[in-house]
Amino acid sequence: MSDRVEAVKKLFTSKSSRVETNKGDTYYQDLFVKCEARLNEMRAQAPANRLDFSDLLEDNGIDRREFMKWASATTAMLMLPPMFTPLIADAVVMMNRAPVIWLELQDCAGNSEALLRADGPKIDEIVLDIISLEYHETLQAASGHQAEKQMEEAMELFKGKYILFVEGSIPMGMNGQYGTIGASGETFHDHLLRCAENAAAVVAVGSCATFGGIPAASPNPTGAVGVMDVVKNKPLINIPACPANPANMVGVILHYVLTGQVPELDSLLRPKFAFGYRIHDNCERRAHFDAGEYVEEWGDAGAQNNFCLYKMGCKGPMTFNNCSIVRYNEGVNWPIGVGRGCIGCSEPDFWDKYAYERPMADAKIKAPTGGVEKSVDEFGLGLLTATAIGIGIHAAASAVAGKKSGECEGESK
Amino acid sequence: MKPGYKKVERMTPIMRIIHWVNVVAIVAAVVSGLYIAHPYYETFISDPALDKYVMAWNRWVHFMTAILVDVTSIWVAYLYVIGDKERPWTKLVPTKRNISEFGEVVLNALTLNRRKRFDTKEMDSFNAVWFALMHLLLIFMLFTGLQLYVHGLASGISSIGSWWPWMLHLVTDWTLFVFGGNMGVRYVHHMTMWLIVVWVACHIYVQIWRTIYWQEGDIAIAFGGSKFVKDDKLD
Repeated sequence: MSDRVEAVKKLFTSKSSRVETNKGDTYYQDLFVKCEARLNEMRAQAPANRLDFSDLLEDNGIDRREFMKWASATTAMLMLPPMFTPLIADAVVMMNRAPVIWLELQDCAGNSEALLRADGPKIDEIVLDIISLEYHETLQAASGHQAEKQMEEAMELFKGKYILFVEGSIPMGMNGQYGTIGASGETFHDHLLRCAENAAAVVAVGSCATFGGIPAASPNPTGAVGVMDVVKNKPLINIPACPANPANMVGVILHYVLTGQVPELDSLLRPKFAFGYRIHDNCERRAHFDAGEYVEEWGDAGAQNNFCLYKMGCKGPMTFNNCSIVRYNEGVNWPIGVGRGCIGCSEPDFWDKYAYERPMADAKIKAPTGGVEKSVDEFGLGLLTATAIGIGIHAAASAVAGKKSGECEGESK
Repeated sequence: MKPGYKKVERMTPIMRIIHWVNVVAIVAAVVSGLYIAHPYYETFISDPALDKYVMAWNRWVHFMTAILVDVTSIWVAYLYVIGDKERPWTKLVPTKRNISEFGEVVLNALTLNRRKRFDTKEMDSFNAVWFALMHLLLIFMLFTGLQLYVHGLASGISSIGSWWPWMLHLVTDWTLFVFGGNMGVRYVHHMTMWLIVVWVACHIYVQIWRTIYWQEGDIAIAFGGSKFVKDDKLD
């Protein structure tokens, strides 16, 4: 409760969630100088691994021109003016100097999968390939004591410098015994706190790590929570979505490498460059929404003509994410583009509140007391029916036994 | 006029205008709001988009009626305290007299008008509370509705200036925390619509019932502004 009070206080005193797309020439000039100095500083450091970005690009058949196109698109995504494009290109090369520790907690590893299973790595994935991944619980070759030793070493060597990526929720039920890791049986909770202690910043990736995601869906048997509920007093960035878009992960790391700061965040700690806009407002099917042209069932004439998916349960109007702009897999496609609605995967409690495939008005929801699930309209009509019955009884009773004023004057005196 | 009765003024023209503007606005808001929540009629698929803009018109109606209710709410707030007619707040304060009057009005309905021990000349405490409840529901709809509305102003700019979305965030973002995100706000906004519909059903019934059983022409208050009560001096 006190958390909630604090959050409300913060809301009333903080600036609006307006996305500042142009902060003025002076601001960008200053930032440019700062970023240049920072990049020079990093250039002097020894790379933490021998992976070379230019080689990797060449190996994957991506030429310089394509890379520069990507760099200018990424600059735009980060809401920086075009003069930053060369700096972004430089920062990418410097990515092998950014130590990263990646924790895998209670989830399906879908965010790692999103990177690994990409059909022919695109530039986003290559950038994530060359970051100095010191420890990744799913990907590393080491196991057991060896793996733990590797983590200890990385944490010691890059103390206060490494970025901690967290994938998956933290089970808090049964003293955290739902999820343990390593030979010592350390709970996910303790593990996370220990790794977060000396991190420069913590990045929660995917819906589970940010808001608890599917593990936290009702009835949440493991008491799963997101990183933001557990890690306090650390710079924390949330990159929700299921899975998180690699473009946004790269954006956050690049922003950090380039400026040494976390990007501007909204009230849910999501970077505004990625989560500042509503899917609905940049959706290619928006015109059909306004025109009242909806897909009524899968495969009907509306579906064949790319009509709006609102009646099939699309949650684009309530979801903030940039997938309608950057899409997935280097702009190949995205959920609404393939003809199915958005399930609001980057919003808190998405599994319970967004992912049902029907409009909110038709969704069965739990009463606050638990128990019976009814749609809002069923409940409302029930309430109205009860009222009508009450009115009917009173009206009938009045008609039979009611006393009109002025009929028997003597009694009312 | 029936002998032994006198006419009492209850609602000034301004109050009646507010009442009927609210009636029209709420009916239109419910009809358009239900469409927004779940588009319940189909548009002709063969019809090109240029001459239909069905969801957009429904949303337009919804926002316009919301603005009407917002404006009348300001009027109502003013009349609550300053107005020279009823000053409903004097009947809202939980004084001993108001509480017992509230109970008497309830008993009047429960005894099917056998017991009537309060002054029907002026607004009674029960109606004062009942009407205040409606105003609270409308204000609640205003806050939750404007929160849903500001989602579309993510850019932070609007045709009337950036102060508008800024102000909306400032005064309505608390609903996100209290009701659990965008969808929680949608739930309660939709749910409250049903509470308002139930309220309206009860309100209309009570006024008709009073008109029939009190024999004082209560229903006329909202139309002509006056009702009739027994003239004590003639008793």
